[in-house]
Amino acid sequence: MKPERIASLPASPAEPTAGAVPAPVWLFVAMGLLAFWSLHFLEADAGGFSHKVYRPYTSLASIEALQPKSEGDVMFASGQRVFTIYCTVCHQPTGQGLPNQFPPLAASEWVAAPSPNRIIRLVLDGIQGPITVKGVGFNGAMPPWRELLKDEEIAAVLTYVRGNQNWGNSAPPVTPEQVKAIRDKVAARSAWLPDELLKVAETE
Amino acid sequence: MNRGPYLFLGVFCAMALSWVGLILQPQLQIGWGRQETNVLNTLELYPQARPGLAQQGLQVYRSLGCATCHSRQIRQTGASFDVGLTGAGTNVPELVQAILKVKPDLTPAQATQQAERLPAILVASVDKATADAAVTNLSVGGAKAVANLVALGPDIARGWGSGRSVAADYLFEQPALLGSQRVGPDLANVGLRMPGRAWHFLHLYDPRAVVPGSVMPPYRFLFEARKVGAKPSPEVLRLSGPTPKFDAGGTRTNWTTPESIQLTAAAAPPSGFEIVPTDDAQALVAYLLSLRTDVPLFERPLSAALAPPGAGTTNVVVTPAPAPAPTPAPAP
Repeated sequence: MKPERIASLPASPAEPTAGAVPAPVWLFVAMGLLAFWSLHFLEADAGGFSHKVYRPYTSLASIEALQPKSEGDVMFASGQRVFTIYCTVCHQPTGQGLPNQFPPLAASEWVAAPSPNRIIRLVLDGIQGPITVKGVGFNGAMPPWRELLKDEEIAAVLTYVRGNQNWGNSAPPVTPEQVKAIRDKVAARSAWLPDELLKVAETE
Repeated sequence: MNRGPYLFLGVFCAMALSWVGLILQPQLQIGWGRQETNVLNTLELYPQARPGLAQQGLQVYRSLGCATCHSRQIRQTGASFDVGLTGAGTNVPELVQAILKVKPDLTPAQATQQAERLPAILVASVDKATADAAVTNLSVGGAKAVANLVALGPDIARGWGSGRSVAADYLFEQPALLGSQRVGPDLANVGLRMPGRAWHFLHLYDPRAVVPGSVMPPYRFLFEARKVGAKPSPEVLRLSGPTPKFDAGGTRTNWTTPESIQLTAAAAPPSGFEIVPTDDAQALVAYLLSLRTDVPLFERPLSAALAPPGAGTTNVVVTPAPAPAPTPAPAP
């Protein structure tokens, strides 16, 4: 069969196009309200997008207020740990030392001085030679801790030793800044002699 | 379709925004996390990397699908404060007056008694302002008062931990097995609340022997039965009582006889055999014992336990486990 020639195709419907229909006003209002609410929510509850803020806390300030209060207490606890690791071998857990060998720390006038000026130097660079503690003579040597202990650790252990009321000590805490100041000021040296240390001013 | 570019742009923006919000921003916030400093023991970094055996245990935990039934995230809904008195100071009459001011319902005699029995919690479950005011009131004549933070929430009430989980807890997790279902209890802090190594072995071998009604499947394939020798193997499951019993031939009989612990019938080893954990069980238990999150961090404020100063170095409030943990019989 011979194909019939088609004179003209029927007009096909035009391809649909998206017209420009104006969005309804209420949609803009609703979106505006939603944006307002979400910004308000973020402001109140997002904790300033800080990675330190978790539910149920909502701001950095509210968490800061919950941190353990007294820095001295924190240092005291840390200092006890440092003391247990490095100091108990000689000075004993009780801080009483050993008779004729290691001087006591409990109620010692070297420890309980109002200013930690001398004791920081003593811990940093060690001490050797005849020393009188609580009226009793000792002649031994304490190693330097300058390289081994950080400023924070020396400050913590001195805070613990000086403020330990179980030992009868109640000297004020030592701060890492005080240790750093003396570490920077006094270059590494051989162990102090007690007489040398006594020449260091009690307060600076 | 004459708006193709617009459609493409719309889809692209939606996808890009979700990627920024769900992946990029969290990565910038916590992705490069470091060890945090414990706020109560400032020389201690948290978390510590796991020892090798526990690191292997993570893969055992993962391969056994423990995360299917156990979550590893503690939720917290709020915080309240307890006011504790830790030191009486020198001026006791003044302290008694202060106690009466803080707790008006006490009689003076009761307040005096309160001042003598230290440390003690005077006021429980109050908000921060009230607690701070009480501490100020009580700090007279050298007396020492503290406001202790107590985290609140259903998980904490169950004894699963004393504070919420934070991102730092998962620093050394690869992958982080947070879990999504709680068929069993949460394990975020299991190393602190269930510290018994022997208990974990026994529990893995026969859960219902130590936790009646447990729905946990027994993991007996993590253990092997060995013929009883002259001495018990290391880490052998202590299934028997303390008194050794021998048969006529001088072979010990009661290592494998359930006496103190009632094993389920299927779990009882054949006579003359003892149950020994395999390397996988050792690794898994080492991993479980390394799961400890009760460490006070900046983002997870917790208070030191109420104890006299210098009483110990443990600063973390350890909540006793809710389920009883029977101690296996001591070594025969």
